[in-house]
Amino acid sequence: MERTIKFSLNGASIEVSVPSHWTLLRLLREKLGLTGTKEGCGIGECGACTVLIDGAPVHACLFLVPKVEGREVQTIEGIGTRESLHPLQQSFIEHGAVQCGFCTPGMLMSSKALLEKNPHPGREEVKEAISGHLCRCTGYHQMIEAIEAVSKTR
Amino acid sequence: MVHPFDYRIPATLGEACDLLWDFREEGKIIAGGTDLVVGLRKGDLRPRCLIDVTRIEALRKIEERENGISIGAGVTHSELASSPLMRQFGKVLSEAASWIGSPQIRNLGTLGGNIINASPAADTLPPLMVLDAVGRVVSKEGEIYIPLSQLFSRPYETVLKPYEILAEVHFPKLPFTIRSRFVRLARREAMAIARMSVAVIVQLDRGRFEDVRISVGSVTPTPRRMTEAEAGLKGRAPDEAGLKLAAHRVSETMIRQSGIRPSTSYKKPVVEALVMRAMRGALEGSG
Repeated sequence: MERTIKFSLNGASIEVSVPSHWTLLRLLREKLGLTGTKEGCGIGECGACTVLIDGAPVHACLFLVPKVEGREVQTIEGIGTRESLHPLQQSFIEHGAVQCGFCTPGMLMSSKALLEKNPHPGREEVKEAISGHLCRCTGYHQMIEAIEAVSKTR
Repeated sequence: MVHPFDYRIPATLGEACDLLWDFREEGKIIAGGTDLVVGLRKGDLRPRCLIDVTRIEALRKIEERENGISIGAGVTHSELASSPLMRQFGKVLSEAASWIGSPQIRNLGTLGGNIINASPAADTLPPLMVLDAVGRVVSKEGEIYIPLSQLFSRPYETVLKPYEILAEVHFPKLPFTIRSRFVRLARREAMAIARMSVAVIVQLDRGRFEDVRISVGSVTPTPRRMTEAEAGLKGRAPDEAGLKLAAHRVSETMIRQSGIRPSTSYKKPVVEALVMRAMRGALEGSG
């Protein structure tokens, strides 16, 4: 059962036809070619698929496409470009918070949402904001420092 | 592979009731979907139609009414955790909601979903038990009120008929002198199902327990108040001996309700310690 969904994606209005039972994750990756959002577990436990919906972090792997109607979706592709990185992206690189890079897009989306809601979070608030993300490489320290560094500049 | 289904987004509760009446067992209400979509992927659920209730404004409100607080079933855990009204009048529930899953899960998951999923480990249930919460259930047949303590038949099952929808939950406002505490035990600080949880509300009068309410999660098949322990404390001074007695009654109730299991040798001393921790926390803390 296909349905037409109209929503805002990284600031641009788009309309797509997609089966009702698809998740937003599948729509982004397989139909729209936006493969920055990753599938780590598919059941909302690892955070690799995190996108922002109306500014709030959610698991795209649990978000069925009909729910997206009329909403504002932001993915990792929408926060910065190669030429002009988002300050968080720059800070992650500088602080060694990226190794294999698989958890990184989701982690960045949650970090961005945190700083937009709370520009000067305490360390515990930073940890809570990324508590829904699993990283097998870094040990999380570098992400926390990267996020704190950006918050100091604001 | 997910089995294809129809997806409807009613604008009003009335429309949702009509849809569910038509689809019955083949229809399923979806709110945040954090449990349901996982079930769909596993193949446990194969509904013909999903009825999304998240655009129904009436289900999204937290309101103060003259006799108590009313929470729409579609209110998310994030909203429960941050609501000033909840922090003031339902802190034990607000606190529990703030521990569920992760920020992403809390932004989607709802109070109604947590209740209807009816997991024995559900975090909102012990707080709802100590708050004496009542559910308003609607359908094409009309509306009824069910105390949430009577809503559950067995693990993961409620007494609701296939065409009924939990619309809201309300609980009476308690005096400002009450103290509450929610404690939770899990393998990790986030993204871990509660191994055990305790919600307590206490009120003292002239140094003695006037009102004591205790509910423990993950130790009984369905949520309940630990009335045997509560009865033992009423009128007593809040001393260690009293707390130990209450804790012991809780573990006895747990064994009576759930039987002796491989986990009992762990759970018995742990539930006693957790109940004491929750009681001490409520008595020492403010509000």
